[in-house]
Amino acid sequence: MTELSNGRKENHGAVCLDVKDVVKRFSGVTAVDHVSVQIKDGEIFSLLGPSGCGKSTLLRLIAGLENQDLGDIRIAGEIVNDLPPYKRDCSTVFQNHALFPLMTVTGNIGFGLVERRLSKSEIKKKVSEKIDLVDLGGMEGRRPDQLSGGQKQRVALARSLVLEPKILLLDEPLAALDRKLRKEMQVELKRIQREVGTTFLNVTHDQKEALSLSDRIAVMNEGKFLQIGTPDEIYETPRTIFVASFMGASNIFPGKAVSKKNGAIELETRHGSRIFAPVTEDAAQDEIAGISVHPEMIRIELPAGNEQQFDAEKHTAFRGIIKEVFYQGNFSEISVLIKESDMPLTVFLTRGAGLETPISEGQDVIVSWESRRNNVLRK
Amino acid sequence: MRRKKDIVSKVLGGLSFLIYFFLWAPVIVIIVFSFSSNKYGVRWDGFTLKWYAALLSNEAVKDALIRSLIVACVTVVVSTIIGTMTGYGLYKLHFKGKQFLRTSIVLPIVFPSVVTGAALLVFFTRFIQIPLGYPSIIIAHIVFSTPLAVFVILGRMQRFDWSWEEAAMDLGATRIRTFMRVTGPTLFPAIVASAMLIFPWSFDDFVITYFVSGIGSTTLPIYVFSQLRFGATPVLNTIGTLFVALTIVALVLMHFLQKKSESTYA
Repeated sequence: MTELSNGRKENHGAVCLDVKDVVKRFSGVTAVDHVSVQIKDGEIFSLLGPSGCGKSTLLRLIAGLENQDLGDIRIAGEIVNDLPPYKRDCSTVFQNHALFPLMTVTGNIGFGLVERRLSKSEIKKKVSEKIDLVDLGGMEGRRPDQLSGGQKQRVALARSLVLEPKILLLDEPLAALDRKLRKEMQVELKRIQREVGTTFLNVTHDQKEALSLSDRIAVMNEGKFLQIGTPDEIYETPRTIFVASFMGASNIFPGKAVSKKNGAIELETRHGSRIFAPVTEDAAQDEIAGISVHPEMIRIELPAGNEQQFDAEKHTAFRGIIKEVFYQGNFSEISVLIKESDMPLTVFLTRGAGLETPISEGQDVIVSWESRRNNVLRK
Repeated sequence: MRRKKDIVSKVLGGLSFLIYFFLWAPVIVIIVFSFSSNKYGVRWDGFTLKWYAALLSNEAVKDALIRSLIVACVTVVVSTIIGTMTGYGLYKLHFKGKQFLRTSIVLPIVFPSVVTGAALLVFFTRFIQIPLGYPSIIIAHIVFSTPLAVFVILGRMQRFDWSWEEAAMDLGATRIRTFMRVTGPTLFPAIVASAMLIFPWSFDDFVITYFVSGIGSTTLPIYVFSQLRFGATPVLNTIGTLFVALTIVALVLMHFLQKKSESTYA
């Protein structure tokens, strides 16, 4: 009732899907390991992780295609643990679309409505509404083998949405499409979600897709949730080494905290150098495992004769040698060897921020960034 | 070099011709002479349909033909149903010894018919007292026909995308509704194709049937064999023509259905 006292609508922010302490084991391997999450009505939530991390298994547990060993799953407040897929108020868009080959577009979209014993006229009306929604006008009579990948995707989406499920489960819906189409379908997915307002639970291994599509993201590895947050939280302040490297903050300095002062944590890296990072509220000193910094935050300078001294609390700076330059067009990915790290630093140099003199391999440089860009990683 | 190639291709061409000649010539001879008025059925003496009339008025032939048709039809229906269920089970279920079961299903096909026939006869008469006649013949035919159905259906299942079933259940269909609306219709061409393969297989069988048919239960192939004692007769030619026609119809249908199902699911 707190929501009501805040003056918000009752259904706004209501929990749509509640996963509580769910465990699933396959012959000794724990695919989903004590996972809990609450997804709100109307959210686009992404499960993000490398292949084999358990994200698809979790989706299948929610859909009812597998059964969990422990824990509860609630959809719109109702416990669905023992319900078969056809009795759950959710619907899945499969990775390979899984369209019925003998049925037309109309037949595929109307499949679930026929099972619900709706009248023919009602089915016709609802199907044509959804055909409009996913922009498939003129394709009604086609069979799946006469459709392109993107069109199949739209049919699969319409086939699920026509049932007006509480939650739509998307299993790597864009993985089968080529890059250009994927971008297009991302935009489409977001538009359609805004139009119908259905909660989307999206499974993906593509960080960019998750970042641009989601309201919230859960990063998963080895069956566990490592971090749940908004896209900017996940990208800018990854909590662990795994999340940091998976989200592309590829510069990681493992180390331990030695002191806290002036709102900053002083870290001693494995190589004995000192790095300062802003204090985050909840990190206990002995929990800290290191820091990460994004490649786009790092500047490269050529050493001038008169060495400027950096204030370590404000700037982190190292001397290094250019190892390799990968030209990417709009930016260059440069790897720089430094004494203070086993791994070369990765630096993104955008064309606008380019140096006067071109950089070549083997050159001595100074890499530096503002210390407030250092993100504290936990164990 | 060029000359050598010519000779090779000529020899191979000649061999191929001989193979097809021996494949088709006897069949064509039988068909042609079934319409010849020569009473030994070995020479062209002008067109006639009288041997077909004789065939129809011959009670022994009619009896054997009807028996063969009944056996073949029952065998087709039972074998395809069992074969479909077995194929589905062998494909979808995971259990210990599955590989063994899957491999051993081939036994009735690779075993010499004489061995299978003799074994079935001993089994029926000495161990489980199955009366010789329709019951023994039909059971024997189902035994050697079902593996064919399993093979055809397993072959198709291997190219299926089984997420269809999950999608159907996800969209609200129960297991039975899923089979009726999705799995069944998708398997249907394979089921019919296996039926078309089994029908001539059962209709033609001589060796195994000869062992288990007992006295007085003559199928068409056995009748033909028994008549050979009296030498080739024009009526045998008409029966031969009948066999060829039925078999070709079944094979053409099967081919057509397989083509169709392939183009649908490729």
